[in-house]
Amino acid sequence: MFGSFFPVILFLLAAGGLVLVILFFSSLIAPHRPNPAKNSTYECGEVAEGSSWIRFNSRFYIIALIFIIFDVEVVFLYPWAIVYRHLGFWAWLEMAIFLVILLTGLAYVWAKGDLEWIRLPEKETESSAETPLTPDNLRN
Amino acid sequence: MPFPLTHLVYFSPELILIIGFVVLMIVDVIRPLRRGAGIVALVILGAAAIAAISAWPGTSQTIFATYAHDPFALFFKVFFCLATMVAVLFSLFTFKTDAEYYLLLVGSALGMSLLSGAHDLILLFLAIEMVSIPSYILAGVYRGKRSSGEAALKYVLYGAVSTGVMLFGMSLLYGLTGSTDFEMIRNHFLQESTSPITLFLAMLFIMAGLGYKIAMVPFHFWCPDVYEGAPTPITAFFSVAPKAAGLAALLRLTVTLLPEGWEAGWDWPVMFTLASAATMTLGNLAAIRQQNLKRLLAYSSIAHAGYILMGFAAACFLGFQAVLFYLVVYLFMNFGAFFAVDIVARKEGSETLRDFRGLGYRAPFTAVVFAIFLFSLVGLPPLAGFIGKFYLFAALIQQHMIPLAIIGILNSGVSLWYYVKIVREMFLRDPLKSEPIPEGVGTKLLLLFLVVPIVVMGVYWSPIIAIAGEAFKLVAP
Repeated sequence: MFGSFFPVILFLLAAGGLVLVILFFSSLIAPHRPNPAKNSTYECGEVAEGSSWIRFNSRFYIIALIFIIFDVEVVFLYPWAIVYRHLGFWAWLEMAIFLVILLTGLAYVWAKGDLEWIRLPEKETESSAETPLTPDNLRN
Repeated sequence: MPFPLTHLVYFSPELILIIGFVVLMIVDVIRPLRRGAGIVALVILGAAAIAAISAWPGTSQTIFATYAHDPFALFFKVFFCLATMVAVLFSLFTFKTDAEYYLLLVGSALGMSLLSGAHDLILLFLAIEMVSIPSYILAGVYRGKRSSGEAALKYVLYGAVSTGVMLFGMSLLYGLTGSTDFEMIRNHFLQESTSPITLFLAMLFIMAGLGYKIAMVPFHFWCPDVYEGAPTPITAFFSVAPKAAGLAALLRLTVTLLPEGWEAGWDWPVMFTLASAATMTLGNLAAIRQQNLKRLLAYSSIAHAGYILMGFAAACFLGFQAVLFYLVVYLFMNFGAFFAVDIVARKEGSETLRDFRGLGYRAPFTAVVFAIFLFSLVGLPPLAGFIGKFYLFAALIQQHMIPLAIIGILNSGVSLWYYVKIVREMFLRDPLKSEPIPEGVGTKLLLLFLVVPIVVMGVYWSPIIAIAGEAFKLVAP
């Protein structure tokens, strides 16, 4: 009934079961003697500073997004490079078009100032049109 | 070369959109265009639409083994280009924004065009993402407004989950058949037996993913919040174009993958009957109590997805023809209704029912046209909405699906209540403020452009229904 995927199910069940068994026995055997020092974030004694729920600079995300795009591009380039010898000129052309479109995107991001780590205020007003994008300005 | 390069000709609408997109992007960097970008976007979309029309009725073959070049795909390409053009025109009246906005609309139109022709699970998935990702950004285009950000975030989160579920369904389908090509999957179904449970799960998951795009109950939760928070032109765009794209993909998928009379594991007319009844009932009942008109129209668009799914439930030629015809009508009336709402919202700053009180005195032209759109949405003769619904019900009755037809008719009755409530507010109550709402020449022209087809198709619909019939020809029937 399960066909060739039966071993996969067995594996999932065995792996999940093992985790449960280990957790169960360790909770059974382990001593429970909590104290404030032990419950602190770092048991080595390092005192945690502030909360980890702070605001990250949104620049991180922009850079990460751009990075992912070019990361994926490399993934596409690998299989292409391997069979390139058999495909010849057209494969080169296709990949060239693909890369040109991607590089246009990079140029766009660059020209719009999104690669600057710290966006200068005057740069901000310069790149985002004379009317900044606020609801009041968006509606006429 | 496995494929002759001349096949690229069949790809011309998409190529126009791609080249236009890249060129517009480069030009905008060199010299910021702002509103001019909207005009350029109109030209690009118009050219793509003309390319699609001139290719009609296509060659009925799959190009590059993944892409259908058939009347169905071309019909939807024209539809999507037209819908996006209306959205661009709509935005030109409302927005002062930069070229990025129009770029995203063109990108979304490209994704939808690809979706209409996708004949392979992987291309289908990529095309859906190409529609979704610009949509997420467009929903959040009011950068300073919290509700817009909320809309974008909700859209992304729901979208990510439903995309994941759909991808899982596709992987199951691939596991079952060993192919991602629609025709190969179909042949596999015809020749070999498959596990019915797995097939059921696979199709259910895929239906969930596409159902999210068309706001089908129970995958509609994102819809009212996103529609309310997003800028009105974008809301109108969402309610027409990506919804039609989802329906197109669903139609091609079900009709191509699952051979007629073959019901092991997945009885899709029954599933669509249930989905249709649930969708329209929930949409209409929830719309009754809405005070915000954008929210009301959001629920109304859920209800309309339910009506359109009746054509799927009928699962016959007449039903699918009715679906295509209804989508054309729906394009005009829904864009029109949202545009009328926006005219008032621009002046009043909000779009509650109160803001429409006495609109008949403050902006007579807009009020009358809005009333026509609302009556067409109800499906009252002699407007196009009536003809669209008539064909949908006719298909149901032809297939002897009387219970669903009765549910549909009851729903239309319910919908009359909340649509007419707006009309009453506009004409039978005294305005709260007496100052008129400005209706510029351009605004009136766009309203006329949207209302004339509604009125004309209400009395002379035979060419459109003929085109809809012609368009329902898929590569692998």
